[in-house]
Amino acid sequence: METSLIQISNLTKHFQMGGTTVRALDGVDLDIPQQSFTVVMGPSGSGKSTLLYLIGGLDRPTGGQISVNGERLDGMDENKLALFRRHAVGFIFQSFNLIQSMNAEENVGFPMQFSGIPPKERKRRSKELLEQVGLADRGRHKPGELSGGQQQRVAAARALVNNPGLILADEPTGNLDSASGVGIMQLLSDLHHSGRAVLVVTHDARMVRFATHKVFLLDGKIVSEDQYHRASLE
Amino acid sequence: MKLLDIVRLILGNLNRRIGRVALTAVGVVIGTAAVVILVSLAIGLQKNANEQLYGIGDLTQIQVSPTYGGQVMMASGMGGGGGGGSSGSGVQQTALLTNPALDGLRAISGVVAVIPRDYLMSSLTLKFHRLESGSNVIGIGTDDLGQLGLEASQGVVSLARGTIVIGPMVAANFYDPNQRPGQATPAAPDLYDQNLTFVLIKYDQNGNEIRKTMTYKVVGVLAQTQGESDWSIYLRLDELKAMNEWAMGRRINYNKDGYSQVIVKVDSVDHVLDITNQITALGYQAYTPQSFVQGINNFYLILQIIFGGVGAIALLVAAIGIANTMAMAILERTREIGLMKAVGATNRDVLSIFLGEAAGIGFLGGLGGVLIGWLAGQGINVIALVYLAQQSASQGGTPPSVAVSTPVWLPIFALVFATLIGLISGLYPALRAATLVPVQALKYE
Repeated sequence: METSLIQISNLTKHFQMGGTTVRALDGVDLDIPQQSFTVVMGPSGSGKSTLLYLIGGLDRPTGGQISVNGERLDGMDENKLALFRRHAVGFIFQSFNLIQSMNAEENVGFPMQFSGIPPKERKRRSKELLEQVGLADRGRHKPGELSGGQQQRVAAARALVNNPGLILADEPTGNLDSASGVGIMQLLSDLHHSGRAVLVVTHDARMVRFATHKVFLLDGKIVSEDQYHRASLE
Repeated sequence: MKLLDIVRLILGNLNRRIGRVALTAVGVVIGTAAVVILVSLAIGLQKNANEQLYGIGDLTQIQVSPTYGGQVMMASGMGGGGGGGSSGSGVQQTALLTNPALDGLRAISGVVAVIPRDYLMSSLTLKFHRLESGSNVIGIGTDDLGQLGLEASQGVVSLARGTIVIGPMVAANFYDPNQRPGQATPAAPDLYDQNLTFVLIKYDQNGNEIRKTMTYKVVGVLAQTQGESDWSIYLRLDELKAMNEWAMGRRINYNKDGYSQVIVKVDSVDHVLDITNQITALGYQAYTPQSFVQGINNFYLILQIIFGGVGAIALLVAAIGIANTMAMAILERTREIGLMKAVGATNRDVLSIFLGEAAGIGFLGGLGGVLIGWLAGQGINVIALVYLAQQSASQGGTPPSVAVSTPVWLPIFALVFATLIGLISGLYPALRAATLVPVQALKYE
């Protein structure tokens, strides 16, 4: 029997927009097993990014429960959430979020500063990870000197730096050309095969072929694949 | 997060926006430089004033005079009944400086010596060969003028019967009474080891002049003090008493009449004011230059605070600049703050980084300000001292040794103050950065 990595029950997230309440997530129940490759699909505004941020501890739910690795995130104080983000998860964003003034190596090593890892060890590990994502010769390049695909690889290396068990990727191919997008998908798949759980939020249908688990979201609710496709055709 | 990593990150971030950081720091530079220069100037002025004041006399001496009883005019009107004057309402009690009273003064803790002295109460002409002069003659109740802190430039400072010790300016007062117009003024004679003739003059009831002539040997010439001793002649008190008795035609009994003045020598400048108060409480009149010096020092302390305050206003303006720069930086770097939080930075880490950047601007500005302030102070010193030296050369007196004085604590204080100003200015923006919700920061456009 597969053990659960992420357990979500009756999760809600509401936003106030002007005078109205937007239900970004509306009673989501989800169970994601260890070492799975989960693809969360849904149209814009379906609440898929909100779900990813809540799982990553970057935002707080309005109601319901989330546990990651047995740790309850709802109700955790800010400091504990920061430590959770530092050790348990690695993020990959659509817009890469690299620091423009730092070179690739420094960007990869950036999160390790907060863990108090000495500079020599940071440098060694950054080089190793850049090599792993196929950018061994680009360590000294700044983000502006790299292609979109290369920047996303640097971001992926950064996500791995604290050796987390869960990689959360928010539209990782959204800002990339087709070929680069495939490359990133392959990289995420490799990470999955190396023993990590990967959760990707995307509306790039090509990602589905790497998935071990699929989640479909419509208007803040989980729906079946059939319902999702029917809704897409309407 | 390790301190060294925070510092490295802060320096990297400041370096990223070097132009803006430099412009913001200029405000701090101006403020800090103003504090350093102005406070140094106030301290320099105080030092100068003190240097001049120390010439007034030995600060460990208190001059004590007797109080002669009687009615004293009071602003509040007539004093109450004359019942022995014990109420103090406008009536002063007599307090004479008799020998037992002197023993009372000696008993005060911290008093090293109590030396009575008196002035000559008769007309006097001094004669040395064909030259004549007048002078201030002081009879002193000790054989050793060293007790008064006086030193000899020639000979000794101890007195014996028939000997005198003179101030360095005494010789310069001698003139030739028979000098004719056009004749050269005689040079000041060297009186050391010479005999001086004292001619005392008094008049009888019929207006006839009576003269008495005595001869004293000059056994010592005092070193310059810029005080009363420079132009005074010192001799033993009993010899002066004899002169005064002759001049007044009656006997003087110090045990009954008391001395006209007593010098109380105190072990340390720090005790002078306290002992002065104790002597005043005993009913005597006590005067010390120290109370004057303290008043002057208080004045300069206030001047330092005012000058420092003017500089501080400039720093305050700079603080607003820092707050503005930091607020802008946080707006620009909102996504970066989001990223920091996403990769595991705690609120405290973010707070430390942004506070450190604000303090860093304050520190860098402070460093520049201290350097410029100190250099400007040295420049002012060179220019002002040349000017002041010319002034004192034309007006007499010793030139000041310093115009602007920067004590070691001032640059350190200014640097710490500028850093603190930076830190405080950065507090609000840094708190805002630290408490940003990560997901909102990441989505910030």
